[in-house]
Amino acid sequence: MSPAMSAADDDAVVRQLTLLEALPIWAKNVETARDQTETAIVELTARFSGIVQRLSAALGESVGNHDAAADARQSERDLQLVMDALRTIQKSRDELAREIRGLAAYTDELRQMATEVESIAFQTNMLALNAAIEAAHAGEQGKGFAVVAHEVRSLSSAARETGKRITRKVGTISEALHKIGETNEEVTQRDQRDMEQSEGHIRAVLSRFTESTTQLAETAQRSREQSRAIKDEIAESLVQLQFADRVSQIQAQVVGSLDRVAQWGAGSALEADPESIERAREELATLMGHYATDEQHRNHHGLEAQSNAAPQAATFF
Amino acid sequence: MGKKILLVDDSASVRTVAGIALRGAGYDVVEAGDGKEGLGKLNGDKIHLIISDVNMPVMDGITFVTELKKNPNYKFTPVIMLTTEAGDDMKAKGKAAGAKAWIVKPFQPAVMLDAVSKLVMA
Repeated sequence: MSPAMSAADDDAVVRQLTLLEALPIWAKNVETARDQTETAIVELTARFSGIVQRLSAALGESVGNHDAAADARQSERDLQLVMDALRTIQKSRDELAREIRGLAAYTDELRQMATEVESIAFQTNMLALNAAIEAAHAGEQGKGFAVVAHEVRSLSSAARETGKRITRKVGTISEALHKIGETNEEVTQRDQRDMEQSEGHIRAVLSRFTESTTQLAETAQRSREQSRAIKDEIAESLVQLQFADRVSQIQAQVVGSLDRVAQWGAGSALEADPESIERAREELATLMGHYATDEQHRNHHGLEAQSNAAPQAATFF
Repeated sequence: MGKKILLVDDSASVRTVAGIALRGAGYDVVEAGDGKEGLGKLNGDKIHLIISDVNMPVMDGITFVTELKKNPNYKFTPVIMLTTEAGDDMKAKGKAAGAKAWIVKPFQPAVMLDAVSKLVMA
């Protein structure tokens, strides 16, 4: 063996030994990276899953939310019922006012009748006076008639007095009825005014409430839509995070292969003898046998590795 | 108590995703890191469905299902394979071992839950 050849051989042996030393270290480093990735991905997955579950729960809750808009509509209907009841009361009061006006008309008739009574009494008095004069002319024979005429005059005076009293009382009653009518009219008008004002106020409040609840409902709807979109995005991320499993399987297979090559190479210097070539073929076959993903097979055959990351449907046997 | 599902996968992240989805759907989930550990978790208990990975250390998924089916208690327990393997020859091995469905990773939890609800034992 020439000195030049020997130097070349030494160099090859040194390189081979270095490689053999490095192989287990590479394997260990890949294994460490694999462990760290797996730990981080488990943590991330658990957190993302927690977010998805909380969002799902929140979305479920807001679906069953109290419908404030429906409350507003019910309040509007209730207000209408109250207003209808108040209008019915007002109608009854109008009816009462008409009855009172009717009574007032009767008092006019009564006053007329009382005046007539007075007039009849006055005429009766005049007749009795004439009868007394005629009785006086008749002298002694008319004496008895004069007594009757006197009594008739007394009665007509009493009747006149009664007529006057009736007129006074009717006047008092008529006045009271007019006052009642007027008061009722005033109260009715005031009630009408108050009722309209109250209705206006309540309607304004309800309208503002309805507006607020509509805005709230719209905001809640937008918030729900955004929450759903975020939940979907995170759920999709959970699928993407499964890349860690594929990476882990590829790394585990690389580690196994590195270990086997290191053990094999430690035995003897690499030589291109038929036995070594056969072992190299076996190792490559073992390598392929441990592939778990499509991209590993493609890499092995020198093809472009495509990530088979799109989730597929289940196959049923 | 929900129906019991045995989830066998060496990847903690896959067990986390699948476990959260299954528990969220009301199932009672028992986890194992490989086929041997999976067999050890049976204890003769009533298991309504099994989800298993294929490539695992110690005991792979195909061996696990084959062993499982030898036990009369679990002969008819439905099995779903959940794996990165997508090849037809591997699917054929799963079917021969006694699996009822095959889901390729990465998977949509909804797809898995749908398959589970279709196959889970009454």
